[in-house]
Amino acid sequence: MTALSSSEGSGLRTNAPRAGNPRPATTRIASLGVRAVPALCVLGALGLGLGLIALTGVPLARALPAFARGIVGSDYALVGSLMRAVPLSLIGLGYILAERANLTNVGGEGQLAVGGIASAAVALYGGAAALPRPLAFLAPLAAGALAGALWGALAGALKARRGSNEVITTLLLGFVGLQMVYGSVQSEALLRQPRTDSSTLPESLPLPAATELPLLARGSGLPLHVGLVIALLLAVLVGLLLAKSSLGLRLAAVGQNELASRRAGLRVKSLIVLALGASGALGGLAGAIMIQGDQHYLTAGFSSGFGFDGLVVGLLARGSAWQVPLFALLFGALRSGGLAMEMSAQVPAAVVLVCQGLIVVATAAAAALGRRRA
Amino acid sequence: MTTATTPSDPLARAMPERAGASPAPASSTHEEGTTPEPEREGALCLRRVGKRFGELIALDDVDLEVRRGEVHCLLGENGAGKSTLCNIVFGVQRPDTGTLTLLGEPYTPARPADALRAGVAMVHQHFSLVGDLSALDNFRLGRARRRSDELAAKARGLCERFGFSLELRRPVEQLSVGERQRVEIVKCLLDDPALLVLDEPTAVLPPPQIAGLLELCRQVAASGCAVLLVTHKLAEIGAVADRTSVLRRGRVVETVDMRGAQLDALVRSMVGREVRSLAATAASASSAPARAASGEALLEVEALRFEDRLGVERLDATFSVRRGEIVGLAGVEGNGQSELAAILSGMLKPASGHVRLAGRETTRSSPRELARLGVGCVSEDRHAVGCHLALSVAENLFLGSLERFTRFGWLDRSRMSQAAEAVLREHQVRGEARAPMSTLSGGNQQKVVLARELGLPGLAFLLAAQPTRGLDVGAVEAVYAQIREARGRGVGVLVISSELEELLSVSDRVLVMYRGRIVGDVPGGLEQHERVGSLMSGQGVDPIAGLGAAAAERAA
Repeated sequence: MTALSSSEGSGLRTNAPRAGNPRPATTRIASLGVRAVPALCVLGALGLGLGLIALTGVPLARALPAFARGIVGSDYALVGSLMRAVPLSLIGLGYILAERANLTNVGGEGQLAVGGIASAAVALYGGAAALPRPLAFLAPLAAGALAGALWGALAGALKARRGSNEVITTLLLGFVGLQMVYGSVQSEALLRQPRTDSSTLPESLPLPAATELPLLARGSGLPLHVGLVIALLLAVLVGLLLAKSSLGLRLAAVGQNELASRRAGLRVKSLIVLALGASGALGGLAGAIMIQGDQHYLTAGFSSGFGFDGLVVGLLARGSAWQVPLFALLFGALRSGGLAMEMSAQVPAAVVLVCQGLIVVATAAAAALGRRRA
Repeated sequence: MTTATTPSDPLARAMPERAGASPAPASSTHEEGTTPEPEREGALCLRRVGKRFGELIALDDVDLEVRRGEVHCLLGENGAGKSTLCNIVFGVQRPDTGTLTLLGEPYTPARPADALRAGVAMVHQHFSLVGDLSALDNFRLGRARRRSDELAAKARGLCERFGFSLELRRPVEQLSVGERQRVEIVKCLLDDPALLVLDEPTAVLPPPQIAGLLELCRQVAASGCAVLLVTHKLAEIGAVADRTSVLRRGRVVETVDMRGAQLDALVRSMVGREVRSLAATAASASSAPARAASGEALLEVEALRFEDRLGVERLDATFSVRRGEIVGLAGVEGNGQSELAAILSGMLKPASGHVRLAGRETTRSSPRELARLGVGCVSEDRHAVGCHLALSVAENLFLGSLERFTRFGWLDRSRMSQAAEAVLREHQVRGEARAPMSTLSGGNQQKVVLARELGLPGLAFLLAAQPTRGLDVGAVEAVYAQIREARGRGVGVLVISSELEELLSVSDRVLVMYRGRIVGDVPGGLEQHERVGSLMSGQGVDPIAGLGAAAAERAA
């Protein structure tokens, strides 16, 4: 029995699906103490950030309210924070899905990008607008997910067939995806809108109204769209998949020991392709939701770092699907508040980014500390 | 065998100074009152050294003395504790109990740097050279205070003494493996060590270069340095050793003076002299051959060949296993058994040759396909290949057949656990179905693996590679009882083991593998012990010269 408790305490816990024994009461109390550490870390980072803002000469009395207003200051701000959390959450879910098979998908940004392209292409030129109502917006979403899946699966296939490191391939494919967005809105033969003058930035035509994501509170005029529901549903689905399904167990087995999995008769290569494909699909879906829900047309650089922030969300969630939306919310709020601080309190953008970075580092450090103590 | 050291010898001159600096209280370290010859006093002495890793006892009260001017071989199977012993001597790990003395002085290295300073150098199995740098630059690493030309002169002097040349200025990665090893050895000798440890130095060498290395070892010893050569290859020991210590399960079983020693006697003490209690086996073994003779050929292996990355032939085997027969594969480890097991279990692709199961070609089948065809495999390395330590016992049992418990993708864990509990009861495994595999003892882990493989639908052939490694006597009994039970159902079994007694008592027929080839096919039974032992040692074939072609002829 002593051996049991010691193995539970080791790093195995994060990867292994927990089968059985609930933790004894003593560890539960200990883990409460551990929970406090992340909070302290984040508070420390916030303090550092505030000091930094004060150093730039912007009075904290002006910066802080701006930050808070940006997150929850109005219905509109709140919805903005929520909507920013949606793609972050999807990317994060994709990350932990691949992570279960011990694969590190750092290509969220590119999967997001190709998802956006595919979604815009199908919505504008694929005849999606002519479809009956739910299909009109579902078809471009599916196209986005499919494109992301292909992007992820490509890295998976390279890994399975040639042993290429997926960190490298997903990252580089990410850059390819990003440049493809630039390419596709530069050329009229592709997605660039035909009306051209010097004032028009390279972008596509606006999406047909039918292909935009339905709003949840239509009367209020708030941009609260169905993407939120999709993200929450998928969080539950991914959570169930990892914890309760055969596929989840197979992925965990491959993640822990590829050789033993092959010996046990698992199709290790297919599982690797599948894991990265599914991970990419979530990223592609995130891109489609951003295009159809928030932006309504494809522009160069529309992904604006959501893929990388989503990666951090996934990292911090440490394999837990229900933690992903929470961290996504944190990062969505940081983005909203940071933007507001920049715009209304004139805090330099660089300082805002540094503060966000500090919080990321603090959260990651807290997570690592918590893991060591748990 | 002993070569007198020449006075001009730089190494030899360095040695007495080092020894003289410490008035050695040698008498306390020499238990046996024999007065050693002057140049043969103890360089390194281990007294009751012990080391545990959790449950595993890696070293158990080891006494060892390596004398100056001798090549002392440390012989042992994988897992016998050789690496742990090296690591302790080189300061990588610290012993839990016992003391070390070097040249009569207490020796407690906390890190390799301490060992180097004290005069212990080690050639690792995997070279510790920087590939981009030249040999000379490699020499200068960690010796920043010594001048480059002085080091070069010293290295040239050493090369000259040992009669080979070295390209000191070419990047090391452009050199052949043998040359790189010589660079490594010269690097060690630059500091005039009192003790040179070589860990499996021949494992990386193509056969023609092995003889050269062994000769070099002899010369280094002749210059006054003590040489500790770690190996599991018998042939090398015969060629080079003055004395040999046999390490088995963490204990030094015996230390033999090689003058007049028999190699096959060493084999026996390496793989175990005492017969483990296999009471049930003796009874069933006598009746087995009759039954086996009636079986038809099930698994046919034909000219199955495999070469490692260096192009060295590791395997060239032809044999067959019949239905309802247990065939044992004996051999000193490293003679191709691991490669054969990996190929038969679908984890490794052979260079050429055929494997047929009931007439059907399965040479390149994947583990998944093999399982479908009714091939069960107990892997040699339980922790790396045999099972998932972090997954639960139930998950380990059914990982390959999750479909049984899956509906619409949903895994019914409670039903899986129930099924697992039933299997655990049936096979008398002590452990919970929901507990992680890592919480089970080695014996129970192995029982789970065996239960999984024996439970394959339509099991026709079972490969059991080192099925009893690390198990206690009771667990060994249980494992073989299950294997015999499978034979009773008409399953053909191939058991690969380095425990010769076990193999002889459980097998209907024993094949002996030597240098990748089957050199003997004898009926089972403990009375075959001598014969198999001598076949395992290559029967006096000069193995360093070639790849045992003569041995194969002899067997034919």
